Amino acid sequence: MTLIEVEKHEVEEEPKPEVLRVRGLPFFPHFLLREVVVMCLIAGSLILLASNYPASLLKPADPFDTPTPIYPEWYFLYVFGFLKFWTWNIGPIEAKIIGVTVPMILWYGLLILVPFIDRNPSSDIRKRKLAVALGIIALIGVLFFTYYGIVHGE
Amino acid sequence: MSFSDKIYKWLDDRFKLRELLPSIVKHPAPENVISNPLYCLGGTAFLCFIILVITGIFLAMYYKPTPAEAYNSVQAIMTTVPMGSLVRSVHHWAANTMIAAVMLHMIRIYFMGAYKKPRELNWVVGIFLLLTVTTFGFSGYLLPWDQLSFWATKIGTGIAGSLPIIGGYISLILMGGTDIGAETLTRFFAIHVLILPMAIAVLLGIHFLMVRIQGISGRL
Ligand code: HEM
Repeated sequence: MTLIEVEKHEVEEEPKPEVLRVRGLPFFPHFLLREVVVMCLIAGSLILLASNYPASLLKPADPFDTPTPIYPEWYFLYVFGFLKFWTWNIGPIEAKIIGVTVPMILWYGLLILVPFIDRNPSSDIRKRKLAVALGIIALIGVLFFTYYGIVHGE
Repeated sequence: MSFSDKIYKWLDDRFKLRELLPSIVKHPAPENVISNPLYCLGGTAFLCFIILVITGIFLAMYYKPTPAEAYNSVQAIMTTVPMGSLVRSVHHWAANTMIAAVMLHMIRIYFMGAYKKPRELNWVVGIFLLLTVTTFGFSGYLLPWDQLSFWATKIGTGIAGSLPIIGGYISLILMGGTDIGAETLTRFFAIHVLILPMAIAVLLGIHFLMVRIQGISGRL
């Protein structure tokens, strides 16, 4: 009997949630509904793409029959393109070694170090002219070598 | 009081839902984040990942990772297994969309400067996620064992193999020998369905934990 009374007491004394003043959508149901709608749209587009453009399956692998042209996956094309592009030896270092090391080791090393190279504390795009310029150059570079890789498929 | 409010109240009275719900549920979503679709890219990549796990599990039920059977098993998935063609094609498209979304997500982080203090380490984790995701694509590409698989993998292992010093080891570890064969296929299968899923689960856990602790960087 007492136990029940204690519980009732607790329920009644539940603290009112503090009022928060943040501009935005309440999580439930508005934000959640929006998320679910967006997720359905993405999943729906994937199903649409999949049914109109099914994944391909060519002839079985044959190590003695080299098809032409051959390409790697699109997201590796820039590596492939750079390798095709770079044909100059530097001193004793062969062109091919440079061609694979630059887009794999050097490029990823540079990417990992981005937050430690860019010491500018501002995240205002107008105060980051150098970083933005370098970013655009890098993007154009990747796109250019991707294009180069497509044109020069072996 | 709407119907859903009534259900919530009924449950809340009994289970104290309010205390159980994670804090994000109780706070409104900040306007600068929800009004800009660029912030969707990370979530899009994650949704693709979930779809890949589900479709991948179904594919693994029919796929056979040996040179003699791989091609035929994929052909069977495409022709005789019910919904097989759809499941494989969704897996294919979700994979490509995920990689594109991850790259665009990274471009957003870069141009918004969202990698700056205190988020430097989350950028580093992000680069490892990028590596994991592209390796997922690379290892999955060989599995159907068709002409495209074989020769694209030939180029890929060739490029990785000509790296100075580590190249020889990488190609030996990947191929399990000097040429692409049965060893390579089972290795790529193990990498694709065992090693990388575990790696990405850990990395995503750290990534999301850091976003939770540090919050989304606000553009002022
Ligand atoms: C599997 C791939 C990835 C997934 C699923 C993922 C998911 C997410 C999600 C959901 C967020 C919350 C904000 C948003 O969506 O924009 C986020 C934030 C973040 N991500 Fe990723 N991400 C991935 C890869 C990457 C990569 C490749 C990088 C960069 C190299 C990166 C760096 C960051 C950083 C720095 C934040 C914090 C951003 C902020 O506070 O505004 N992530 N990630």
